[in-house]
Order: sequence, then C-alpha cells, then structure tokens
Amino acid sequence: MAEAVRVFHFVNQFFAGLGGEELANAAVQRRDGSVGSGRALQQALGEHGTIVGTVIGGDNYMNEQRAEALSAVRAAIQHWRPSVVAAGPAFAAGRYGVACGEVCRVATQLGVPAVAAMHPENPAVQLFGKEMLAVPTGQSAAGMQPALAALARLVLKLGNGQQAGSSEEDGYIGRGIRVPGRRALPAHCRAVAMLHAKLHGELFTTELPIHPTEAVTPAEPIADLSQMTLALITTGGLVPKGNPDRLNAAASRVWYRYSIDGLDSLTASDWDCVHRGFYTAIVKENPNYILPLHVVRQLEREHLIGRVYPWFFSTSGVGTPDSYARPIGQQMAAELEQAEVDAALLVAT
Amino acid sequence: MISALHAIALNGGAPRVIHGARIEHVCGNPGLTPEMDQAHARQIVLTACAAIQTAVTGPTLFEP
Repeated sequence: MAEAVRVFHFVNQFFAGLGGEELANAAVQRRDGSVGSGRALQQALGEHGTIVGTVIGGDNYMNEQRAEALSAVRAAIQHWRPSVVAAGPAFAAGRYGVACGEVCRVATQLGVPAVAAMHPENPAVQLFGKEMLAVPTGQSAAGMQPALAALARLVLKLGNGQQAGSSEEDGYIGRGIRVPGRRALPAHCRAVAMLHAKLHGELFTTELPIHPTEAVTPAEPIADLSQMTLALITTGGLVPKGNPDRLNAAASRVWYRYSIDGLDSLTASDWDCVHRGFYTAIVKENPNYILPLHVVRQLEREHLIGRVYPWFFSTSGVGTPDSYARPIGQQMAAELEQAEVDAALLVAT
Repeated sequence: MISALHAIALNGGAPRVIHGARIEHVCGNPGLTPEMDQAHARQIVLTACAAIQTAVTGPTLFEP
C-alpha cells in the first residue's frame, strides 16, 4: 500500500473545541495530530492520509494580528513538512473563511498544495478568488459530514502529487479559470442542445455560470456636513434591553428601527447586543462601540454635522447570505431616501 | 462603513470604508481611559466625516 499522505490541518478555536467568542483572540497554537473537527477529517481520510499536525487560530487573532499569525502558520508548515494543507470547513463563518484563505496562501507560497472548505457565499471565496481551492459546504456545521468527505477526496488527490482537475470533476467551487481542452461536441451543437432543452422546459447545465457581485456606485461627496442629516446603522445586533422584537443573533432576514431621539449616548442598562459572530460582552457594557452615538451627538452640538436622524437601524450581520442582505439594504435605503437623509454611517462588526 | 474587517468590506464593494479599531469594539478601545477612548472614537467618526466629503470612484479605505 502507498504511504499515507501527510496532511496539515488548520482549524479555528471553535471547531478545535477550545471555546467560542471568548477565545476568538486566542493566538496560534500547534498540536500534533488531529484536533476537533480534524478528528472527523482524519476519519474521512482513513488510512490514505494522516493529519500530522494541526494549527489552531482564534478568529479575531487570525484577522487582526495577521502578520504574527501567518508567520506562526508558516513556521508550523515548515516544521511538519506536509504533502498537503487542509483548512476548515469554515461554512458561512466570515473570519474563519478568511483565515482559511490566508493559510492556503501561505502553504502555496511554500510550495505545498492547499484546499479549504466553506460555503460558496463565504466572503473569503470572493476575497481569494482564483488563488484558493475550496470545496463547497452548507451554511452551518449541520453539513459537516458531506463537507469532510469532499474535502478529504481533494486533500488525498493533491497530497498524492496530482493536480486538481476541473471544478465539475473534483467538486470544488469554480474559480473562473479556463483550461483549454476538447469537448465531445463543438460549441454550436452544445448551444443548440441547451436552447432546445430550455424551450422544452428541461434541465440543462450552463457552461458559464455567472454570479455577479453588485456594483455599487459611490454616492457623490457632501461638501457641507453642517447642513446634512446623518443616519446611523449597525449590523452589530444592537437592540433595546430584552430584545422586544426577537432579532435573530445570526442569519437575520429582518432589521428594526429604534429611536435615539433625545439620547446623548447608549447605556448598558437600556441596550443589549444579540450577535452570534463576535464576543459581545464588551459591547454589552458600552453599546456606543457599535453605534457611536456619543461622538455623533458631540459633533452635532459643535455644528460639525447638521442633525442626526432620530431612528437608527439595526440587524445582526453574521452568516447573512447576499440574498438576505440585499432586501435589507434596499428597505433601509428606501426609508433614508424618503426621509431625505443625506448620509449614513454603518458600523459593521 | 466603519469596520475592523476592512478587507471584506472593500471586497464586498463598499465605496467608503473606515478602518475600525477591533471586531469586538469597532468604534473605540476599552483598554484606554474613558477620555482617551472617547477621543479615539471621535477620531474614527471624524475620519468617516472626511470620507463623506471625499469623492471616490470605487471601494476606498480611510485610516483614522
């Protein structure tokens, strides 16, 4: 039997079993063998691959202390000398997805093939684009088993020194790379066959899937802020104490407006933070960190800005696919336009 | 938009992105004295005000 492929695994603090948001600032740690979700990956690899080492990185640490984190990851890869690097699955978790993309980039720079696993709408998919090989997963850990099976297949292929085939063949998220080759039928025949299928209401597979990101035209600058009405928006899950509208702490399809009329700042006794994507204890103590009302009021008093719109908008921006976010943005924009608000300050956690 | 994860915001196409302090405290720093913290938050919001007054053609990062 061929020798087992040497695999290096990257996992965040949560899927390593260290803890949740309270440990999101955890620095990079090395462990021999597999840890947390890596144990299930090891099972999926079977006897064909061995996770020789794992690096655990806190979600915040990986994104905020990027240079230190990646230098530790580089040293760990050089230490274990794996044939392939596996990262995730990160599902829809943005910070974890970005960390996986960074780890894959470091591996590639060291000449080690790498593959991540995450939801196709994870921001890292767009951020790393052609650079990152990632197998698609569901939104959450409920899809762990199929995600690991798909990850393990590609890990073993790359670890055995083979190149990744097409995204259809190897089941990863298409990166928009075209590889010249021959198809069984010429393009005009395939196009007519697709049209035929479409006209008959039959299923067909496009050869050019298009997932456009919305192009945002920047608003014109405002010359005189002392005349403007400024609105405040947060995706930090800021709600009145008791969360009367029951805003979801993740994957929210809705948003709410709350009055800040007559308030000088936000206090811990009146406001709360429901957000499953970061450690909320600091914001619960001082909600102004995700809606800087205290400063905006100061600027209003100093006439540096005109007036503050008396309502702020809130949702919890975490695990939110584009299809949820778009209507939320459209509804908020419609209200602001109708109320003749000139500019909005959006705090995204 | 004020965000500590500015790379994601820029990649998502937000035209004016202000680099926030940290994911857990975007507009300020609880490690500072209350006065310094308020000054830090003010600096971030003033950067946002400057961004609103600046013409941009695409996603642009503003550092407080």
